[in-house]
Amino acid sequence: MGKFMKPEKVVLVLGGCYSGCKAVIVKNTDDGTSDGTYSHALVAGIDRYPRKVTVAMGKKKTAKRSKIKSFVKIYNYNHLMPTRYSMDIPLEKTVINKDVFRDPAHKHRAQREAKVKFEERYNTGKKKWSFQKLWF
Amino acid sequence: MAKKSKKNAGDNINAKLQLVMKSGKYQFGRKSCLKALRTGKGKLVVVSSNCPPIQRSVIEYYAMLSKCGVHDYHGDNNDLGTACGKLFRISCLIITDVGDSDIIKTNE
Repeated sequence: MGKFMKPEKVVLVLGGCYSGCKAVIVKNTDDGTSDGTYSHALVAGIDRYPRKVTVAMGKKKTAKRSKIKSFVKIYNYNHLMPTRYSMDIPLEKTVINKDVFRDPAHKHRAQREAKVKFEERYNTGKKKWSFQKLWF
Repeated sequence: MAKKSKKNAGDNINAKLQLVMKSGKYQFGRKSCLKALRTGKGKLVVVSSNCPPIQRSVIEYYAMLSKCGVHDYHGDNNDLGTACGKLFRISCLIITDVGDSDIIKTNE
């Protein structure tokens, strides 16, 4: 009796080249727009997860292994699997929005913004599940 | 004794389903169920006993997220179709508007 496709929800991407990746909903459109009359969501996700880091590794190695490659994409709700997790990450809506996809430079900037914020959050050590690769 | 009570419970849910078919709003099928659950319009999901396990798990997870009840029907999809008065099989159905029935209260 409640809507759960909301911003800050962690979802799994089910289709496309990012299938199996975890993503965070940035903006959701439940009723569709003139471009697409289906409910969809703009998500920012993790393409390449940070590698495993152990205590024995030095700072340089840890830094290299903690890098994240991100993506920004619009998905139909049918191609997303919601989870019970959420991640309140302060992604800049001015940088990451639907208009980003028309210009590759803007898209790269949006991906960069997502990457920076994801790495920041990963380094605090919170929300570990979201930064772990989904094994299937 | 146990069998008798089960039969009674079964009849109850069948009667309530018939009332929902008459007076309420409902959707059949996995796609419609998930759509209704995503928009938060679902009130109760009824799943047949031979619903494929992955499909059932997905529906149950969505229902958990949207705080919608799930009722495991004690018959297979043929029985559920018959209970709804339809000539086809129904694996999962979602009730979006209860109408005159009190199916949700009894489920809780």
